Amino acid sequence: MSPTRIPVRLRVNGRPAEGLAEPRTSLVDFLRDELDLTGTHVGCEHGVCGLCTVRVDGVAVRGCLMLAVQADGAEILTVEGLASPDGKLHPLQEAFAEEHGLQCGFCTPGFLMALHELIDDEPNPSEEQIRDVLGGQLCRCTGYAGILRAVQSAFAKLGASPSTESGA
Amino acid sequence: MAIEIPKNLDGLPTSQRRFVGRRVRRREDPALLTGRTEFLDDIKLPRMLHCAVLRSPFPRARIESLDVTAAEALPGVEAVVTGEDARRWSHPAASSPDGWGGHCLAGDEVRFVGEPVAAVAAQSRAAAEDALEAIEIEYEPLDPIVDPFEAMKPESPLVDEAKGTNKMLDRVFTWGDVDAAFDAAPHVFRESFRWNRVGANPTETFGAICEWDPMSLELTVRGSIQSASHFGLGRAAVFGLPSNKVNVIATPHGGSFGGRGGTRCTDVACLLSRKAEGRPVKWIEDRMEYLTAGGSQAWDRHYEVELAVDADAKVTGLRVKLVDDLGANGEPYGAICAAKPLAAFTGPYAIPVAAYDLKLVATNKLPSSPYRGMGPPPHFFVLEQMMDIAARSLAIDPAEFRRKNFIPKDAFPYTIPSGNEYDSGDYEQVLDRALELADYAGLRRQQAEARAAGRLFGVGVASAIEPGVFDWNAYAIVGLPGTGVPEGATVNIDILGMISVRVGFAMEGQGQYTLVSQLAADYFGCELEAVRVVPMDTQSAPPSFGPGGSRLGVAITGAVLGACEKIRGKMTRVVAGLMQTEPENIVFRDGKFGIPGVEGASMSVAEVAGTMLARSDLLPPDIDPRPEATHVWTAAGRTEPDAQGRAKSYLTAAQSVHVVAVEIDPETGQTEILRYAVVDDCGTRLNPVVVQGQLEGSVAQGIGAALYEEYVYDDDAQPLTTTYMDYLIPTVNEIPELLRDEVVTPSPFTPLGAKGCGEGAIHTTPAAVLCAINDALAPLGARAREVPATPNRVWNWIQEAGDGNQTPQGEGSNG
Repeated sequence: MSPTRIPVRLRVNGRPAEGLAEPRTSLVDFLRDELDLTGTHVGCEHGVCGLCTVRVDGVAVRGCLMLAVQADGAEILTVEGLASPDGKLHPLQEAFAEEHGLQCGFCTPGFLMALHELIDDEPNPSEEQIRDVLGGQLCRCTGYAGILRAVQSAFAKLGASPSTESGA
Repeated sequence: MAIEIPKNLDGLPTSQRRFVGRRVRRREDPALLTGRTEFLDDIKLPRMLHCAVLRSPFPRARIESLDVTAAEALPGVEAVVTGEDARRWSHPAASSPDGWGGHCLAGDEVRFVGEPVAAVAAQSRAAAEDALEAIEIEYEPLDPIVDPFEAMKPESPLVDEAKGTNKMLDRVFTWGDVDAAFDAAPHVFRESFRWNRVGANPTETFGAICEWDPMSLELTVRGSIQSASHFGLGRAAVFGLPSNKVNVIATPHGGSFGGRGGTRCTDVACLLSRKAEGRPVKWIEDRMEYLTAGGSQAWDRHYEVELAVDADAKVTGLRVKLVDDLGANGEPYGAICAAKPLAAFTGPYAIPVAAYDLKLVATNKLPSSPYRGMGPPPHFFVLEQMMDIAARSLAIDPAEFRRKNFIPKDAFPYTIPSGNEYDSGDYEQVLDRALELADYAGLRRQQAEARAAGRLFGVGVASAIEPGVFDWNAYAIVGLPGTGVPEGATVNIDILGMISVRVGFAMEGQGQYTLVSQLAADYFGCELEAVRVVPMDTQSAPPSFGPGGSRLGVAITGAVLGACEKIRGKMTRVVAGLMQTEPENIVFRDGKFGIPGVEGASMSVAEVAGTMLARSDLLPPDIDPRPEATHVWTAAGRTEPDAQGRAKSYLTAAQSVHVVAVEIDPETGQTEILRYAVVDDCGTRLNPVVVQGQLEGSVAQGIGAALYEEYVYDDDAQPLTTTYMDYLIPTVNEIPELLRDEVVTPSPFTPLGAKGCGEGAIHTTPAAVLCAINDALAPLGARAREVPATPNRVWNWIQEAGDGNQTPQGEGSNG
């Protein structure tokens, strides 16, 4: 009575990937369990905490609210794809390290991916735009102060450069 | 050889302190930022099974029948356990108060919603959850016991018939002649308060992978476990195993804050592994399980408080009556939260006498757990409201009333009535800096203008103590079996001079591995990168308790520096032999051993280590050639509680003052924080970046507790807050910008003068926010006596005051 498993083919962090998913399998579970990309974390599985945020065709989505089968054919970017292959951190990651924007670090991949979309969409965001994005992500350690400092520092560093580097 | 651990930063053997006490970037971060840190749920072991737990939907019911045969027969299911297995293979968990623990799976009766009834181990979590649906179970619901005051009545039904009472503990502690103080006082203030359940909510829920080896009868538990050795001792007791046959491998934690819990379902997974012939069984709690039945809920309290004040506005006595609703049992250490206030009962004030009437009560709610602060945050919420009630009634400025009652700076070390000793402090200086930072005078002017315009503008000034570096004796009064709090580190220098430090705890978020690196690097005069920190399992690590009770920063500093000192001592002997002099003539500084004034007489740590490991011919004959040492640090001079529970328990007492300005919208009851200023004194700051992060995060949790967070149960003990849409963790948009400053009075008792600072602000924040709300509501005669002060509650208080329905406050005439 094992449910049918359906092939899912997509691109993750610039490379082709494929695996089998039950229709009920969420995208985040598929990434973690089937593709062994465990950098994306699970916090609530009901779409509130934002920990499982990944980019699907450029859009920051909650990996717990999307089914793996829906992502068939999509281009996915996860936290594993942010730093350069030579280990150089993305400016956003660098800013989080510099400004103590993380403590336990469990929620951090979700913050990074949500902000990564903002960087692409809006190189010079207003405070309101930044808070709008951060408001969808929960952190229990930092009180958000270090995260706000990191975001300000990251955007200052990125300057007006329209695009971001990533492994994708 | 006596080990001398430096008492201040200048005591480190370096002319250029580059790391300790400086803002150092955390070494933990690159792996965390790239998703490479391996958390528990990232681990896959060969042949691993996945566990799902069937939980009671009733707060109180008899289990009439339970049939798991259909579930056992499903494909992919490898084992199913029930309460019967738990009774055959395990003992009830250790608990506080003693005897109030239970088995990990219910027997004939369920006692709270979410109590495990049965569990399945299967090839996948999904298959395990599917199998739960095939378990046949019939309940006969019973009337739940919900209200702790009803529960204490003799006619109340019992949460656990075998106990014969719902009172887990009923005890009065009296410290000094409290009655005389109240009889003599011209002013006595009385008030009742309610603190509703809140909790830790780390972003990673709890999880464990359990392996029961049927051949060697050894148990291995991997998990995001806060105090691994203590957890291991608990499992040994539960399963009747020798303590050296339980190995705990702590994985990095996605936050903790005391509320990870998880023993109950860890034990379930252990039983499943045993039944599945030793295959590893992974249990990961989902968020709904965490919120309803995890280590999530703390501090369900009803207070009655009295404050005696003399004609000179000095507080002369404090009486606190606490009814603490611990839920269905005493297992997850909720009771220690009622004991910890003894470590700082009278806060920062020189109150000479006090009494504590403590009742721990069982109801059919989730057994309560610890949470950051471990109990004093509600205590200081009530104490600080009482200070404001007194100040308002006596028409004294609340900041000046506190100043008048502060323990003076020349009185340290200072023993409080409940027995603990505060190490050091300068409370007035902290207050002055906070008032200046917040522009207190300006806020009062703003308030006058706002009030003139009919707006509800309030300013709160609150101060609290953070007891740091806990010891189990603090919890003995609630019957907790303590297991000691040693902290050890093994420092090893290899043949090329590279340093490893082996420790017994996992990363939790407070930058402790960075701290260990800072200490070893400054001690040996090397780069941070030359130090590797290696977490060990409990059977390999030096004695360790790990994080908890704001202790690890201080304790691991003692351990690492102690081990470094031992290596220095050993190397000094080696160098003295090589340089043909006495050890007393050898000086170690900036990573070099030498003889002062003798040019060329200099050896690096690497040279000495290499000599020790490679040149036995050059060593003193009786020396152990390992460039390695272990030191186990414990807090000196902790004492057993006396008949009234008085003990020297927590080693350090950090202090802070928060000044908060709020405005309340009378139409909605919504509170907006307009200004938030914090000045704190936690002694020497070993990594100021990390200390700042602890403070900022702790303020946010305090604001959550003050305004938003609450575990709500309905009148039938059904939990209503089972998702993050119901339990409101503050987002970035609820947290104000902080104005911060600090005062540093090093502790005279600790390595480098550091104090515990990990719990910090949550001791003061709810108190300060509620002081501000009460100040805002004062012109209406409305009063906030309950947290969280949600818009709905505040609006109701405003309406009741308008209707004249709030009971008169405050000062009772004293006869």
